[in-house]
Amino acid sequence: MRKRACLLVLALAVLALSLPAALTKDDVKVRTLGNGLKVLLVEDHGVPSVALYTFFRVGSRNERPGLTGVSHFIEHMMFNGTPKIGPGEFDRRMEFRGGSNNAYTGDDFTAYTDWFPPAALEAIIEMEADRIQGLAFVPEVFESERGVIASERRLGVDNDNDSLLAETVRATAIMAHPYHWDVIGWMSDILSWRRDEVMAYYRTYYAPGNAVLVVVGDIDPVRTMALIEKYYGPVPASPAPPPVATVEPPQLGPKTVLMRKEAQAPSFRVVWHGPSVKDPDYLPLAILAKPLLEGESSRLYRRLVREEELAISVYGGIAETIDPQLFTIEVKPRPGADLDRIERTIEEELAKVRASGIAPQELDKALNIIRADFYQGLQTVAGKANQIGAAEVLYGDFARLFTMMDDYAAVKVDRVKEAAGKYLVEANKTVGRLVPEGGAK
Amino acid sequence: MRRFRRAAPVLALLVAIGPAAGRLLAGPQLPSPAKIVLRNGLTIYHLRSADVPLVSFRMLIGGAGSAAEPAAAEGVADLAATLLTKGTSKMDANAVAEALDFMGATFGIGAAEEYAQVYGDSLAQHFPRLLEIAADALVEPAFAPAELEKERALRIDGLKAAKDNPGAAVRYYFQKAYFGAHPMGHLADGTEASLEKMTVGTVEGFYRAHYRPDRAIAAVVGDIDAAALKPLLERTLGRMVRPAAAAPDAAIPSLPRPSGKTLVLVDKPDATQAYFVLGAPGFAMGDKITAAASAMNTLFGGRFTSWLNTELRIKRGLTYGVRSSAGNWAVGGLTSISSYTKNDKIGEMLDIVFGLLRKARSEGFGAEETESARNYILGQFPPSLQTNGSKAGAYVRLAFYKRGFDEYDRYLDEIGRLQPAALKAAAERLLPQDDYVLVVVGKAAEIRPLLAKYGAWREKTISDPGF
Repeated sequence: MRKRACLLVLALAVLALSLPAALTKDDVKVRTLGNGLKVLLVEDHGVPSVALYTFFRVGSRNERPGLTGVSHFIEHMMFNGTPKIGPGEFDRRMEFRGGSNNAYTGDDFTAYTDWFPPAALEAIIEMEADRIQGLAFVPEVFESERGVIASERRLGVDNDNDSLLAETVRATAIMAHPYHWDVIGWMSDILSWRRDEVMAYYRTYYAPGNAVLVVVGDIDPVRTMALIEKYYGPVPASPAPPPVATVEPPQLGPKTVLMRKEAQAPSFRVVWHGPSVKDPDYLPLAILAKPLLEGESSRLYRRLVREEELAISVYGGIAETIDPQLFTIEVKPRPGADLDRIERTIEEELAKVRASGIAPQELDKALNIIRADFYQGLQTVAGKANQIGAAEVLYGDFARLFTMMDDYAAVKVDRVKEAAGKYLVEANKTVGRLVPEGGAK
Repeated sequence: MRRFRRAAPVLALLVAIGPAAGRLLAGPQLPSPAKIVLRNGLTIYHLRSADVPLVSFRMLIGGAGSAAEPAAAEGVADLAATLLTKGTSKMDANAVAEALDFMGATFGIGAAEEYAQVYGDSLAQHFPRLLEIAADALVEPAFAPAELEKERALRIDGLKAAKDNPGAAVRYYFQKAYFGAHPMGHLADGTEASLEKMTVGTVEGFYRAHYRPDRAIAAVVGDIDAAALKPLLERTLGRMVRPAAAAPDAAIPSLPRPSGKTLVLVDKPDATQAYFVLGAPGFAMGDKITAAASAMNTLFGGRFTSWLNTELRIKRGLTYGVRSSAGNWAVGGLTSISSYTKNDKIGEMLDIVFGLLRKARSEGFGAEETESARNYILGQFPPSLQTNGSKAGAYVRLAFYKRGFDEYDRYLDEIGRLQPAALKAAAERLLPQDDYVLVVVGKAAEIRPLLAKYGAWREKTISDPGF
């Protein structure tokens, strides 16, 4: 019944005092190898399974024009062969041993996610350590994978009006910082990445000092650490990647996007520049997103979907990113809906928040939602590995996971009003519309 | 936005067998729950699990699914299910939503083909309140006319918007092309025409006939003990009243079997990719072929190194995702294969798919492949039952299909013994050769010439009403 915002995948918040006995900071064994690889281990014998997650501090934020989408492309190429292990062999070996995997690339980091039975542990660690030491980039495989990415882009962006609008709005709101482009990259870049440039990018970011290895599940931590030493220890250290220097300049007035395309229903989205995850304004805006946007009782769902019947759905929230990004409200309008009225309605609701903030009851509601989401994510070994690794990469310290709710609970209700007044304002806004060709019907 | 290496499986049409895939273990996969029978006859399975302070609740109501709908009221099952959550005798829809959202709880009711399913998850401290709201919804729904109007408009607009997403639309078209007028062809969302005709009387009539405690099975898993749970259940779900009238016949007629090829082309003039679904008869829940079919499907199109994915994605880069899967119901099943590619590559893609189908049927699978499939299923099974919700869901599904809570142990035991011959037999029975339904959504002007060699296509246009 409750519609969950897709922007806030991590939901890191929790009250330290109420953390379950199942996971505490002391359960996480920490070690940094000589080459800089940070290792975090959690022993959990709930099921005979292991989640091994490797996080690299590289995402679209590290890219440049001409190489947009390359972080995600390398994520795919990580499965396509090394000098030691042939193309396709990584998956064949993993699946033969009862394991499976996936991987994802975001704005700030790339994660490799393996799930396998305990007996496969050494084989998986050996393969994971191998692929950070060099990829084959076999030319024919490189071209084939380029085709896969082009198909993924056509599926996820070019043939999906909401995503197409999202990409354009993002690129309009953010003009200087590499968050300008989506993780998938521009199609012309996808079609023209050069092998030598991709290889240089890989060498820069796929280094032990730029990675975090998280292993959670049915393991013996002492033996697991010894295996990690054995296979990762000899990997040489590399120079730290260059920092991201570009700072997005302030926006000094509203921007608008209008797209016309064949469609049954229009698309609508509005964004504002927001703070980074470490900014004191981040938590107040993350709290605001719950009573404003999450669930059928939220202010905007109630008005846009239920009362005025202008929309099919409404989602949004603040991006959880290292550098400042966007606070987003995404509306799926009814076919033929008046998009100006949708924009006015959102503006009316935000004016109320800027003037009066949210009620204490709404703050409690936000904290309940955040707690419930957090525990849902801790029910599996995979969920634990993901939350620990993401906290380490985004906040620079996994232990943040265990104190975050203290910070949430400490947010005074007035801070929500202040943050809304600072960020969710006209001059900082970009509004995007996609209307069915021939004008809104 | 994150970009994943693999797409999440799209199985909207299909009812999964349960946790899809193990290893040989000393203990049972699914802990044995306690059984609680309420005074009204409702059975609830309970397992205490205190790892996290959460509780999950699941309930299936047999015969309250879309296959039980009168033909003229397509979509009433899911509409009724949703309207149960839109207000009760005590609270209007806004108050229900506010109470649930305040707790950070999830609660919903939806219709599958054979049953309606209720789900609820909350922090343990809020679970009693969640169950009170669930019981009010199930026992004293308001069915307010204004809520029907809102939901009707939302659904009609949602069906229109789905047509902008060819990956979603192709599944609606396939369901109609494959099942036709059979009750399994009812779209859970209804159609524009059926929704227009729906009245409060239609919805309430469906609810009164089908929401019965004697047809329901429930499970509660999480941080709550039996002493607290039993009285809570009696004062909540114990209020469901067993009607005096006998339950309506819930039997579903045998599924249609395609004879020859049914080819449907849906024109979406702005599409840059063509999307297809190919389907043929599968197997019923509990069929002896289940383990062999699961291993065969794993190798053919159920995992990353499957034949389909190797040929279409890994070797040729034609697509981001391709998969084969099994939908299983008490009355029968469906084998389906789906993918998408650039418009000008759809002919090449289908040729490869049909070539692999012939190869699997004629040559079967090797000993090493079979071993890999066994290891894979055995290795991937245990994590599928980690959450409270997945355990509760497994209890109600297994009880509904009368499979016993040791089903997964027997299944994995059989998996561990599979040999290549059994997989070949499964391929021969389940992978289509001459009799199938194939639906393609794409830019007809560009793909029509590439599809002509497969036979005569019935053409539709995406902007036409319905599917």
